[in-house]
Amino acid sequence: MVGKDCVAIACDLRLGLQALTVSNNFPKIFSYGSQVHLGLTGLATDVSSVSELFRYKVNMYRLREERDISPQTFANLVSSSLYERRFGPWFVSPVVAGINQTDGKPFICGFDSIGCIDFAKDFIVSGTASDQLFGTCEGLWEPNLGPEDLFETISQALLNAVDRDALSGWGAHVYIIEKDKVTKRLLKGRQD
Amino acid sequence: MRGATILKANEDKTRQLNKHTLMAYVGEAGDTIQFAEYIQANIQLYSMRNSTDLTPSETSSFVRTELARSLRSRSPYTVNLLLGGFDPRTSKPELYWIDYLASCAPVPYAAHGYAQYYCLSILDKHHHPDISLEQGMKILRMCTDELKRRLPIDFKGVVVKVVDGEGIREVEYEDGGQVLAP
Amino acid sequence: MDALVAQYSQPSHSAQDTTLDDSLALSSKIAPPLSLNFELPPIDSHSAWLRAMTDDHSNPQCPIKIAHGTTTLAFRFKGGIIVATDSRATAGNWIASQTVKKVIEINSCLLGTMAGGAADCQYWLAYLGMMCRLHELRHKRRISVAAASKILANLVYSYKGMGLSMGTMCAGVTPTEGPALYYVDNDGTRLAGNMFCVGSGQTFAYGVLDAEYKYEMEEDEALELGKRSILAATHRDAFSGGFINLYHVKEEGWVKHGFMDTNPIFWKTKLEKGEFSNVTSKLE
Repeated sequence: MVGKDCVAIACDLRLGLQALTVSNNFPKIFSYGSQVHLGLTGLATDVSSVSELFRYKVNMYRLREERDISPQTFANLVSSSLYERRFGPWFVSPVVAGINQTDGKPFICGFDSIGCIDFAKDFIVSGTASDQLFGTCEGLWEPNLGPEDLFETISQALLNAVDRDALSGWGAHVYIIEKDKVTKRLLKGRQD
Repeated sequence: MRGATILKANEDKTRQLNKHTLMAYVGEAGDTIQFAEYIQANIQLYSMRNSTDLTPSETSSFVRTELARSLRSRSPYTVNLLLGGFDPRTSKPELYWIDYLASCAPVPYAAHGYAQYYCLSILDKHHHPDISLEQGMKILRMCTDELKRRLPIDFKGVVVKVVDGEGIREVEYEDGGQVLAP
Repeated sequence: MDALVAQYSQPSHSAQDTTLDDSLALSSKIAPPLSLNFELPPIDSHSAWLRAMTDDHSNPQCPIKIAHGTTTLAFRFKGGIIVATDSRATAGNWIASQTVKKVIEINSCLLGTMAGGAADCQYWLAYLGMMCRLHELRHKRRISVAAASKILANLVYSYKGMGLSMGTMCAGVTPTEGPALYYVDNDGTRLAGNMFCVGSGQTFAYGVLDAEYKYEMEEDEALELGKRSILAATHRDAFSGGFINLYHVKEEGWVKHGFMDTNPIFWKTKLEKGEFSNVTSKLE
């Protein structure tokens, strides 16, 4: 979700086998460099594999270029890496959020499982509760929110969406990304 | 089990990976032992080459990666794993739940298969992070009693192993006899 | 004009489909005669058709989604019977409601619980309430729980294979029987017993309940255990949740002990008693 000179990204914490909740502490957001964050929903094994794959790729990039990766470059890296598996895809739908360090502008985008980039100016949703998230985000989001208001908006949007989805919830992580600061918070959501 | 016949009742379904890490496995016959011994051999090889043991979290990462690689191969291993270990550096016990899809989660307590459906709620209620071994064994008894009470199959005894700072040891676990539903 | 009216005033299939008339006549013969002439679709196998239309598991795109997923429990103890349920209704993964009343008050001494198809349970337990009242008027005394549950069991058995989905418990205390608890489901199974948990979260509730259940419990212990068992199930089962509905059935009739949101109860249980150690409450 985009705000004024800030972006926010949030995920729930559930890992489940259909109806059974196996773990309540399975974060789906991974940070690469100081500002770039990747959210992954989908098959849990691929969430881990893909996050590790990008950790490797981003570290290699940093060694080669001697600088952090920008969100735009990272988005293209994600896209091309996903398309490499065009005929046997990773079962994930990623979301990227970050702030470009050169122009200070927020950047978000989403992907399908084979790498089609979906750029957006407002918000990106993915996962089992995406229908609900579209509803809450459309209703709550407004342009130019400050970091605190953005935190409130994204938290309410996520919590109220997962409360209408049987397969997600059980707590949430929220990251508020500003140009020189990242704040991570835990939301104690409903545990049913 | 082979068809409806029990071939052996006291098979040890665990493998010791290094001094402080133990892996328990269930799943497709054949796959289980092949995969477990492959992992065991590699972890032991690492210990020999580097004169240091992998920590439980490092081991879990290796096991998960191997299983994830096999998942997208022509014949994937169908094995569910529990990886328990004691990290001598942090002096903390760790447990990892890994299923045949190579989903891995660090958890305070875990089970696989139908046992999850009966035991997780018991563990949710009775487990605390700082319980003693005796209290732990009491909770284990509650779990096995519940499985005897509610599962339609008789699992013919259990093997109990304890992993702590001293290493891994098997403990006596006597069969409590029949448990009936109230 | 009359021809047009005639054409549209009755189901168009009734004229040509004789097997339909047979099956209608059949169902009215087996089932009790009160208002049970349900319209049936003009097809051979009702259950197969219904399954094709409603089975979310095998076909996630099925056109009709029936509200499913539940945890309900009831157990006998020395002070009567505790009945507790969650309150979530789901259609697929969508949480359709968090405030369903799954305990149905059949009359002042008899409770029924609902699991499975919400509409099936509501309709047939309301119908059972009617039959129980008629029994009272005819015989000048209250119906026994055994008889009430038998009415329900015979009723659902007469519709066996036609796609009814219900797992229900009848709980009541009568002077002749004492505290009595029966389990009735859509197969026609009817069991008397001390303790039942029904629904997708049943195993989790059994886990907690079995570990600490004793017939000689005190009332407050029993109420707490019923509540805690439902809480356990709502936590682990995705299709259970919402509110805990708690009842105590005694000789004088049932007493309601609240319709409580699980969320504050969960955090209270976790933070005060240290249970649910798998849930993080602080960012490390």
